[in-house]
Amino acid sequence: MTGNATQNYKPRKHYDVVFPIVNTIILVILMFVTLYPVINTVAISLNDGTDALKGGIGLWPRVFSTKSYVSILQDPAVYQAAWISASKTVITTVLNLFWTGMLAYTLTRKEYVLRKFITTVMVLTMYVNAGLIPNYLLITKTLHLQKSYWVYIIPTMFSCFNMIVLRTYIAGLPEALVESARIDGAGDIRIYWQIIFPLCKPVLATVALFVAVGSWNSWFDTHLYNASKANLHSLQYLLKMKLATTNQSANAAQSSVDALANTASSKTTPVTIRCAITVISTVPILVVYPFLQKYFVTGMVLGSVKG
Amino acid sequence: MRKLLSVLLTLCLLGSLLVPFAVAEAQEPITLTVFRGDPGDQPYEDNKIYKKIEEEFGIKFEFEFLAGDLNETLGLKLQDLEDLPDLFDGGNSAEMIIDGGALINLLDYINPEDTPNLWAHIEPQKNRVITKDEITGEDVMYIIPNYGLTDGPQIANSVGGPAFFIQKQVLAWGGYPEIHTLDEYFDLIERFLAENPTNADGTPYVGFDILTEDWRRFCMINPVQHLMGRPNDGEVLIDVNKEDFPTETFINQPYAKPYYKKLNEEFQKGIISPDTFVMSFDQYIAQLSSGIVLGMFDQAWDFGDATNALLTDGKFENTYVALGLIYDEDDVPAEDMPEGWKIEEHYLNGSLPNLDRGFGISVSCKCPERIIAMWERMLDDDWQLLFNWGVEGEDYSIENGRLTMTAEQYANTQDVEWQRHNKARAFFESSPKRQGWILDGDLKGNCWEPGNQDEIVFGLMNDYDKDFLGHYGYSKFADFVNPPIELAPYGEAWQIDKAPIDKDYQDFLNIQDTQLPAVIMASPEEFDAKWDAFVEAINPSCEVYSNFMHEEVLKLVAAYYGE
Amino acid sequence: MTDMTKGSTRYYMPRKKGFFARLASQWQLALMSVPILMYVFLFNYVPMWGWINAFRDYGNRKLVARGITPFNGLDNFKWLFSRPDFYQTIRNTLAMSLINLVLGTFSAILLAVLLNEVRQKTFKRTVQTVTYLPHFLSMVIVVAMAQNIFASTGPVNELLTKLGIMKNPIFWLGEGKYFWGLVGVINVWKEVGWGTIIYISAMTSIDPALYEAASIDGAGRFQKILHVTLPGIKSTFVILLIMNIGHLMEAGFEIQYLLGNGLTADFSRTIDIFVLEYGTSLMDFGVATAAGIFKSVVAIILLVGANFISKRLGEDTLV
Repeated sequence: MTGNATQNYKPRKHYDVVFPIVNTIILVILMFVTLYPVINTVAISLNDGTDALKGGIGLWPRVFSTKSYVSILQDPAVYQAAWISASKTVITTVLNLFWTGMLAYTLTRKEYVLRKFITTVMVLTMYVNAGLIPNYLLITKTLHLQKSYWVYIIPTMFSCFNMIVLRTYIAGLPEALVESARIDGAGDIRIYWQIIFPLCKPVLATVALFVAVGSWNSWFDTHLYNASKANLHSLQYLLKMKLATTNQSANAAQSSVDALANTASSKTTPVTIRCAITVISTVPILVVYPFLQKYFVTGMVLGSVKG
Repeated sequence: MRKLLSVLLTLCLLGSLLVPFAVAEAQEPITLTVFRGDPGDQPYEDNKIYKKIEEEFGIKFEFEFLAGDLNETLGLKLQDLEDLPDLFDGGNSAEMIIDGGALINLLDYINPEDTPNLWAHIEPQKNRVITKDEITGEDVMYIIPNYGLTDGPQIANSVGGPAFFIQKQVLAWGGYPEIHTLDEYFDLIERFLAENPTNADGTPYVGFDILTEDWRRFCMINPVQHLMGRPNDGEVLIDVNKEDFPTETFINQPYAKPYYKKLNEEFQKGIISPDTFVMSFDQYIAQLSSGIVLGMFDQAWDFGDATNALLTDGKFENTYVALGLIYDEDDVPAEDMPEGWKIEEHYLNGSLPNLDRGFGISVSCKCPERIIAMWERMLDDDWQLLFNWGVEGEDYSIENGRLTMTAEQYANTQDVEWQRHNKARAFFESSPKRQGWILDGDLKGNCWEPGNQDEIVFGLMNDYDKDFLGHYGYSKFADFVNPPIELAPYGEAWQIDKAPIDKDYQDFLNIQDTQLPAVIMASPEEFDAKWDAFVEAINPSCEVYSNFMHEEVLKLVAAYYGE
Repeated sequence: MTDMTKGSTRYYMPRKKGFFARLASQWQLALMSVPILMYVFLFNYVPMWGWINAFRDYGNRKLVARGITPFNGLDNFKWLFSRPDFYQTIRNTLAMSLINLVLGTFSAILLAVLLNEVRQKTFKRTVQTVTYLPHFLSMVIVVAMAQNIFASTGPVNELLTKLGIMKNPIFWLGEGKYFWGLVGVINVWKEVGWGTIIYISAMTSIDPALYEAASIDGAGRFQKILHVTLPGIKSTFVILLIMNIGHLMEAGFEIQYLLGNGLTADFSRTIDIFVLEYGTSLMDFGVATAAGIFKSVVAIILLVGANFISKRLGEDTLV
């Protein structure tokens, strides 16, 4: 490396001192601004449902109650659904990284004769959409993927956006890496897997995050293809259904019983259920995030390459 | 060879003789796939009602509930008619699956001889329930209405639908007056507000809320027809006293103007806040639940959650009474009235069969006769009691021939989790059912539904309400409005499917959404101009809509009279 | 793509050979890409036959349900373009997506740069984790909060009146002129942290030696940001920009649908809302598909334009 340790000790300019302080203040303010809705959501989720209808809950529950969580978590179907969601998220993420990374690499190879063609074909998929019915018919009538676990995996193995993100990153890596490997007689498959792939950890972590979050949060595929198979329901689908039914019973509650005080015991309401659902479905992502985040550390890659 | 043939023949004969027994006795277990066109909870494995169904009929269910958009979901299901759910409930868009040929004609199975129960169930309303196929001209019935085929005189304990609502404390403060006109209503609210600008906590009261969020725009649009004295026909006013049932949208008529003029005045006085037009449904419920909204036009079921919240807090005085307001004679100039129109208050309508709502049997179902046989048997008293009241001794009891529930048992029936173990909601809600009064047998004079039973409605009523009703000398909250009138031959016009004119209808809605709030908020000088501009903008779509509705109403009337 | 490969590829690119011969020599690259090409062909291009629905009449729902959808030429397109409010929704869509693009990109890069300057690792991670959390809140929750914050009696108005900036509270949610701005602010609030992830991961590829070299040259923090950090994420920025310009016709519908109301409808309705109201929810797939094709065509024109300009300016290109 060309660095000279003594350079670090030269006198600092005044904004070098002020900047970190201002920066810290800005970031702390930003943290509060973005943390507020999150804490508010948690507070509402831990509030009594009927009381929460009145609104005005800030950073702390007004009438504490875990009923929203209990009503969701006591349902054994939630655990089956969580298992479905977790497993499909892992599988989808791994498959995406596998395919997307390889394709991205090939599309950085200038000499590749199909590069332009494939790139165009891929990019267009982001801007053209056939519409719901043709896609539905493809999955059901042509491929017969409905009412099966595979419908979560097979149609979601690739995303062009992520491929572009990866491609941009790989293109930024020094070409010398590929060249020297080629001189050593390595083919593209080996170059990719042995040299490029390991260097892409930060961006692979990013793409993994995007794919995992997308897969974890998806409910539409369950709704379209697996709604009649209770044991294949995904967590998000199940939670969405819970919210919908709470909404509905809120309306149906009132028939001829408006005078009956003692039946109106504290119950879950859409307001609190919605927040509890958000918390329940976000926590797993929060748990996984630090493991991915550690790859986003500046300077790790090239430092290790160039030595 | 001959021997063989004769053996075979004998076997066939024997077989055919055995078939009836086979159906009745050896019920081969089957699982039916069921689609419900609304959201719902999967029942638990140990659900006691479904267990009984399985025991007696050998039938299990695999439920699918609606999660996304209804029309979209149905549209996709229609793509493959060979793979439809056996029991198919199209929710509020059932017309789509009927038109799409997804359902079988139930009349192929239902007739007075084979299915006396089912036939007796639909017979009183058969002119509404049975229609003619537009192409083949044959009698068809695809869906037995899930609600509204009631036995005995109509039960009306309270107003469950549209009305002008007012907080009980406002009436109490005003000395329990009778309120019948817009002027009386707003006058009372104004006087109350002038003397009580805030509640005990210091939160300002809101005089009158107008909810406009999405489809709940009916709170802004629908009042005019009721002020004109008609029950809920949606967005049109129909003169049922004339032979040709003149039908028109009312929102663009001169007689609608006085209502919005009144709202405009109240807006200027600050009784209505501009915030009401940007309010989400959640914010609306929040306001109502806090007990600070004195009045609004709505339907009772729409704010059930808010009522529950108020009851939980013991704020009985902040709960609402439904009032049947009508135009006063001098509200509407005589020349603005439809010809020969007389205003008479009718907020409650006759019992209405929920046409085309409920389960149909799909064309891909392998065993329609078993479903019909099950429904037929289920209309018997024992099954109806089981579905409605539960298991005797466990969920309810019979004392001196009266069906009763303890407060706790009744509270259970409202608990969603309890229902998943103990009720067959997902199946029963969309199936044919008895409602109203039990007309025969030991339990004659009881109600099929616990929520209508006197012991529950009045037995569990809180003291504030009893006292409140006492001041008026009423026994029930429905006494604030006139008793139900006879249902018009066309039913209620909001039931009519607007698909053929859907784009014009969407225009109709959009113009109201964008312009009507501005009309209400206009300055007094601008009001007339803005109203005229609104009427001009909405007239084209109103015309299409009115004409279409008139045709449909006439068709329904003709069908009702069997022409 | 980038020109880093210049001068090196000539050793490996078989010259003056036919296409197939070259492809054959690149069989490894083909093996790594052609299966995905086929996959994309199946899942993204085969269903494109559905575009033919844009030329069919879905107007009569009874007939549609029976599978009868006659061809009607360009009627669906004509209908769309005969609606004055369709143009209004185009305007709203473009305005809101432009505001989102500018605000979103700017705020994400700014935050990424600020984060990059933080030395304290724990603090950095905390800020990052916290700021990206709102991404996971549903729009319903976020809009509900925004409605309370911007209500007539909400904190924003209270602050403005207390500070004496305004005499009377502003009717934020009921006046069309504020709508686009509100959508922009809410989107930034919700997505700023999430948006940084991609830039932060791009910053990881910046050679630390460049920072050291800049220090030697006497560069301060700002110079380093200007001359090392920002150029380091330029390709990512340019590529995302080109991609997003292609997406200008997509302003979504959820936030507008939830935050909008009758009073602001003239500014809140997007193409997607229009298509939902007059196409999808009425089962008119003809109109919906026609609108989809229109959006795709515009998107591709925008994309090609942006790509071309970028190429002219000597920057990265998407294709």
